[in-house]
Amino acid sequence: MTHGHHAAVTLHYQPALPIGRGKLCLWLFLSTEIMFFAGLIATYIVLRFGVPAGTWPVPHDVHLQEWIGATNTFVLICSSVTIVLALEASKQNRAGLAKFWMLLTFVLGSVFLGIKAYEYKEKFVHGIYPAKPHSRIYEKPDLYYVQGVKLTLAAQRDRLTAKQGELQQAGKSLSESEAKDLATLNNLLTNLVQWTELKAVREKDAIASRLAIDKMAKAIYPHWHIGPDGDQTRKLYVNSLEREREDIHGDLQSVAKDLQQAQEQKANLEKQTAPPQKAAELSPVPAATFVVLQNQPGASPATEAEQRSKALGELGRVQERIDMLTLEQNRMNGRLEMIKQLEEEHVVKEGLVHEYARFRLPMVIPSGNMWASTYFLLTGFHALHVLVGLIAFVLVLLYTLDHTKSHILENTGLYWHFVDLVWIFLFPLLYLF
Amino acid sequence: MAEHHPFDPRSPGHGYEAAATDQEHGHAGVGKYVAVFIALCVLTAISFAVGNSATLRHNSPGTMWAAMMAVSCAKAMLVILFFMHLLWEANWKYVLTIPSAMMSIFLLLMLIPDIGRRTDRYAEERWLYAAEPKKEDKSSPGHDQKSAHDHDHADQNAGKAKH
Repeated sequence: MTHGHHAAVTLHYQPALPIGRGKLCLWLFLSTEIMFFAGLIATYIVLRFGVPAGTWPVPHDVHLQEWIGATNTFVLICSSVTIVLALEASKQNRAGLAKFWMLLTFVLGSVFLGIKAYEYKEKFVHGIYPAKPHSRIYEKPDLYYVQGVKLTLAAQRDRLTAKQGELQQAGKSLSESEAKDLATLNNLLTNLVQWTELKAVREKDAIASRLAIDKMAKAIYPHWHIGPDGDQTRKLYVNSLEREREDIHGDLQSVAKDLQQAQEQKANLEKQTAPPQKAAELSPVPAATFVVLQNQPGASPATEAEQRSKALGELGRVQERIDMLTLEQNRMNGRLEMIKQLEEEHVVKEGLVHEYARFRLPMVIPSGNMWASTYFLLTGFHALHVLVGLIAFVLVLLYTLDHTKSHILENTGLYWHFVDLVWIFLFPLLYLF
Repeated sequence: MAEHHPFDPRSPGHGYEAAATDQEHGHAGVGKYVAVFIALCVLTAISFAVGNSATLRHNSPGTMWAAMMAVSCAKAMLVILFFMHLLWEANWKYVLTIPSAMMSIFLLLMLIPDIGRRTDRYAEERWLYAAEPKKEDKSSPGHDQKSAHDHDHADQNAGKAKH
């Protein structure tokens, strides 16, 4: 029959590859994803190994915990297994079991994202952000850093001082904790920031002035890198505090001597400038001089007035000197108190940034900004992929997952395994390198 | 019959999956997945241990990085071959995976020496402004010996030119 003959040449769809179209599209997508993540990882490697030698932060410096990353790796591996088991169940037409495994995969993926969110929060709490307005990371200890610390502290002090003024007008005063904060802020501003600033400016030796700022940076945010070098830098830092204290004690002695001298001078001058009558009562010698001066005709009153005004000027200068020396003395005593605090075991270990977490002190983390940028970029893109996977899971879970739907499950699974694959590389690169 | 095309995923009974499972030497065993899972966990533990070894980090970080990347590659292969079923797929798998893998590896291979060996040809003046301390050649203690070595090198080149 002619009709039958015609029916025999019905055209068939001949796919180029022996796989479903969905799977083909997904594999094409994955092959672009391979290159996408390779580009990101290559960027990371360039930036990671391009920084000045030995400055890339170790995990502890940036509040990264390796075991949390390892846990997340484990969670993803588990989810990869559960989604494979879902596919197997679906192929065997066991829809209920497949749905159970899919649900478990969804839960595991959510756990991964939850842990990731916790990790991000840990960074944000400690002022580690990928960009400036929030980030408290400075790359190196220089005057800009000192300025940054000063502005941060001064802004908070000014806020509290303004509040104190307002409250005082209303007849009230700051709460106990606020008053304590204000005192602490003033203490830090004077004995840490200002001290360092003056030291850095007065020091003629450029290296010594840089070391002064470096000491402040270490006091605020120490990062004693793991290994033998860390212990050594830590010891050097503690020794430098010790040495500074000795220096200040020496300076204090000389200041005390100067002060005594100035005070003697002042006492002498006060005697000289004392009113004449009183002077006469006090001791016979000036009285005699007075008599002699009185007896000299003509010039005597003018000379006397001249001398007195000269002595008064001298007295003013001596008084100025005394004030300055007292101020210096107070400054040194304040610094000694600060050094005592800095030498405390937990402050050496954790730094002022931990001690005064509420003040949100800027910190020096060499290459820290680059670290934050790469960390948030890589994990962010990965987390975005996880999120897309979770959305896909929700859509898949709407179906009855019998054997007619196993191809959907297979494609979702392929995508999810790829997400796992990326993490397999990101985990050692970001947490262990 | 047209409605049971072998490559149509919507005809499961006669579809490629059923056909595949028949030929795939029964790969779909849960036992295999469990084995891969255990292997992945063990490998993760290994890279974790390597990455946390302070002595290795101190003495030869290069070895540490290479070891961790090797472990990662092994894990990736396990995931690709077993979880993504690539081990049992037909030859199309090479078409889609090899070009992109090659480009990725090429990118990395081009960039790593760019960074890792960027100081190799620094001039003396460049070292003054370099972001890292100058690497001293351990075999030749002094500067003179280095220039002597350069001289030898130049001689060799001259020798080659003569040939």
